[in-house]
Order: sequence, then structure tokens, then C-alpha cells
Amino acid sequence: MPMPLASAAEARRLAAVRRYAALDTASGAAFDRVAALAARIFHAPFATVTIVGDDTVRVIAEHGPPPRRAILKRLCAAAVRHSGPYVVDDVLLDPRAAGDPAVRGEPGIRFYAAAAITTADGEALGSVNVMDTRPRQAGEEELACLRDLAALVMDELEVRLTTHRTVEVERELRAGAERLARTLQRTLLPPALPRVPGLCAAAAYHPVSADEVGGDFYDLFTLDGDRWAFFLGDVCGKGADAAALTSLVRYTLRAAAVYDADPHAVLANLDAVLQQEHAGGETPVPYCTAVFGVLQPDGDGFGVTLATGGHPPALAVRADGTVEPIHPAGGQLIGILRDPQFAQVSARLNAGDALLLYTDGLTEARTPTGSMLDEDGLTAHLAAAGPTSADSLLTTVHDLITALGTGVSDDTAVLALSVPPATRTPFSGSLGAA
Amino acid sequence: MPHDNGLTVTLQPHASGPHLLVVAGDLDHHTTPRLRAALEEIEFGPGADLVIDLSGLTFCDSTGIATLVAAHQRAHDAGAALLLAGLDSDITRVFQIMGLDRLLAFYDSPEEAVRALSR
Repeated sequence: MPMPLASAAEARRLAAVRRYAALDTASGAAFDRVAALAARIFHAPFATVTIVGDDTVRVIAEHGPPPRRAILKRLCAAAVRHSGPYVVDDVLLDPRAAGDPAVRGEPGIRFYAAAAITTADGEALGSVNVMDTRPRQAGEEELACLRDLAALVMDELEVRLTTHRTVEVERELRAGAERLARTLQRTLLPPALPRVPGLCAAAAYHPVSADEVGGDFYDLFTLDGDRWAFFLGDVCGKGADAAALTSLVRYTLRAAAVYDADPHAVLANLDAVLQQEHAGGETPVPYCTAVFGVLQPDGDGFGVTLATGGHPPALAVRADGTVEPIHPAGGQLIGILRDPQFAQVSARLNAGDALLLYTDGLTEARTPTGSMLDEDGLTAHLAAAGPTSADSLLTTVHDLITALGTGVSDDTAVLALSVPPATRTPFSGSLGAA
Repeated sequence: MPHDNGLTVTLQPHASGPHLLVVAGDLDHHTTPRLRAALEEIEFGPGADLVIDLSGLTFCDSTGIATLVAAHQRAHDAGAALLLAGLDSDITRVFQIMGLDRLLAFYDSPEEAVRALSR
């Protein structure tokens, strides 16, 4: 159905009002000064700046302030739909307001003059209004000033709209960049660990800063047959360069494991790739530390072969609560040394045993006494917590990192593996074991 | 955590015997270029060894480690020795975990390092 002409114009006007409606902070000292100035120019007690919506009149500044009267709302609404200054010499005598009980019943506003606040494309958003309690006339000069004040309000609204849009655009750009950063960060860490039959696995990343991507990484993935591989490590540096290096290291480790899953060989391959990476003499030289391990199901547990390159010792929490390092001696930094040595060791994870891998953000954290937590401090903490599972280990480490607070100055990645305790038959346990 | 201990690098001239480089403060990606520049000035050669006194070192990040490793390799290529002296126990521990103790010799003091060279 075609819209009547008048309502089409009103729809255009309302669209313009909505454009500026985002400026909820539109009121302010500038508009208060305009209202005060309008009142002074007319030697009138009251002035307001209003924006007229569909059926609302929003007062964004007022001087006086004028008594609240329904008639004022009606006058303001009429002013924006009127071309040129809108002047009512005496509200009581004006046919447009005559018959209004609010005007007749009590003393209030008699004189009203308004100049529309009009956009560049001619849409009236509202008006600057002057009111008096006595009937009077408006001079040409006074009305010209009122028009100028309305134009000033419009200029101010335009500036605010431009600023508002700039801020919006910047916010969108920033949100886009943050989305990209989060997506990239997700590629650095596996979204979820796979389910390994007979094994519990859990991992966590404890960033020190939300806006700087660290270089810690881990993964757990299937190898041929029933074997599984895992790794955890830390590349040097922070930020975008470290993130790129982290990706290279992760994909190299996975690819190297397909080629030859022997942990020592995997680290040697990673070393060769990183050495090539800085063959061009780039500084600072990229390097990393890592632990790489292979799990082989064996009875009610797993055989573990572990190689390390310059990384802090993995710690086993045994089923009886004792804590021991699983750490081949002599592994060196990966990617930076000539003829580096990578050491390998074999161990077993029996029912009830757990294994913790972590990055040095944890062991290099400062305790309240100012000393480094170190492997010894971590070992003592785990020993105090007793026998555990992968999930409980993560909780223990999380609580420790929380307790250390600002003593932690670097990101920490944690990977925990555990073999569930042996299930007891009703007759094998001690009395009342059920 | 901000490290604002700065870094001072002083090369102490020696009429005879090894060069002695005294490094104090924080060695991080802001300050390491100063150490790298000082190391590049040093002429290594057979008998022209280097002792780095790190007893005033308060912090060492990955760029500091990379720079020390690079200096070791340059000294080694020139037939010279590079010895570290006075590392505190925490930094020694970190270097040991990284396997750097198999590469760089650690001594308690510069004097001890110099004595080890003359043996």
C-alpha cells in the first residue's frame, strides 16, 4: 500500500533521528550552554533543547527548568513538523493549543518560540525552544539568534556522530584483529586431547598475559598400531615470531613422528629443521626445548620412551604417592647448538601412576621467599598432594600457579597423563574395601 | 614481569691472559644487543680466551642465552675458550637443564676461571 505523503516524510525524519539516536550521551555542557544562551537572548525564564522521536520528546538540555506540562511536549512535536521558526505568542489564544485543558486549567507557559535542529539533508531532529509565563512577541533578531543556536546544536551532533562512527569502525577493526589472534592461537594448541584407551590425559595453558601469545606447545596423537605419541615444549621469545615458530615446531614434530617415531630421532629431525630455519644468519636465533615421548600399552599400564632436549624433567607421581623425575641426563637445546645431544630414557606407567610435563614458566616462578620454585619445589608440592590422576594433577598445578600469583612471570603449559588405578574384585581388597 | 635493572657491559683490558667481560643487570631482548656488540669487538684466537663475569647478572632470557651460545661458537672456531664465572645458582640451574653445562664451563669467580685457563 503506498504510504501517504505526510507519513513518508515523517518516516524519513524518524530515520534521521534514529541515526543520531546512538548518541545516548548527546546531552552535555555544550547543549546546556545553548539553552542558557537562548533564554538570555529572549530575556525568558525557560529554554530547552529537545529531540522529537515517534511519540517521544527527549529533553537533552534545559535552562530554568520549565514546569513540566503536556502542552510543551505537543508544542515541541509541532515545531519539528513546521517549516521555519515556530512561534506561539499566547498559548491560551492560539487555535493550535486552544481547548487543551492543561493550558486552560493552570498558569504555566503562555509564550513559546522554537527553531528546528535540521540536518544537512533537511530533516528536523528536534528544536531549541524558549518559553515564558507571559504572552509576548518574538523579534526578528531574537528568532535569527535562535536559528543560529539550533544550527550550532546540529554541528555538535554531526561532530559527535562522526566521532561515534570512527570509534565504531575502530572497535570493529580491533574485534577483527582479536578474532584473528584467537584463531591463530587455537592452531598452536590442540582443541581437545584424543581419547587413549586405558589412559587419562589432560592439558592446560596458563598465559601470563591475555594479549601476548606465548610459545608453549603440546600435543597427544596416535601413531601406528596401538602406540601413541605426546610432546610438550617451549620456543624462545614471545609474540608473533614465537607463534610462527611454535607452529613450525608442532608440525615438524608430528611429521617427524610419522617418518620415525623414535623420540631421539624425532628431536634430531626437529633440530635439523630449526637449524635450516636460521641458516640465513637471522638473529635472534630461533630455538626451543621439548620433551617427546611414545606410549606403548603394556599389561595394565604403558611403556614410555621419553627424549628431552634442554627441557625441565617430567615428573612421575607413582600410585604410592612418591614423585620421581623421568629425565634422561644430558639433553640439550634444540635448533641452536652444533652437534646437540638429545637423551632418551625408558620407564613404565603402572596402574595408578601419573606423569606431569610442564614448561619452565612453572619451575622458574618465584616463591614468596624470592627463590625459584624449581624442580625441587614442584616435587615437594606434588608429593604433598599424594597419589593422583591427570585431572587432579592439572588442578594441583592450577592451584599452585594461582598461589604463586605474580611470582609467575612466564606462560606455563601442562600436559598430564595417568593410568587409572587397578579395579579391585570384591574379594581382592582389604576388609570393607567396597 | 618488567625487568628494569638495565645492563652494564664492561670489557676489562688485560696486558696478558684472557679478556674479561663484566656483565651486570638483566639480559633480555632489550639489553642483549649491547652484550652482542661488546662480544663482536673481541678478537678471539689461540690463547686469546674470554672470561665473562656474570656475578652481577640478575636475569637472562632466551635472547641472552642465544647470544652466549653464538659467542661460544665463534670463540671455539677461533681456537679460543669461553668461560662463564659467578653465575648465581638459579641461572646455573636453568643453564644445566638446557644442557649448556656441556658446552660452557662454569666457574665460581673470574679468578678461578683465569686460573683454570693457565693450568
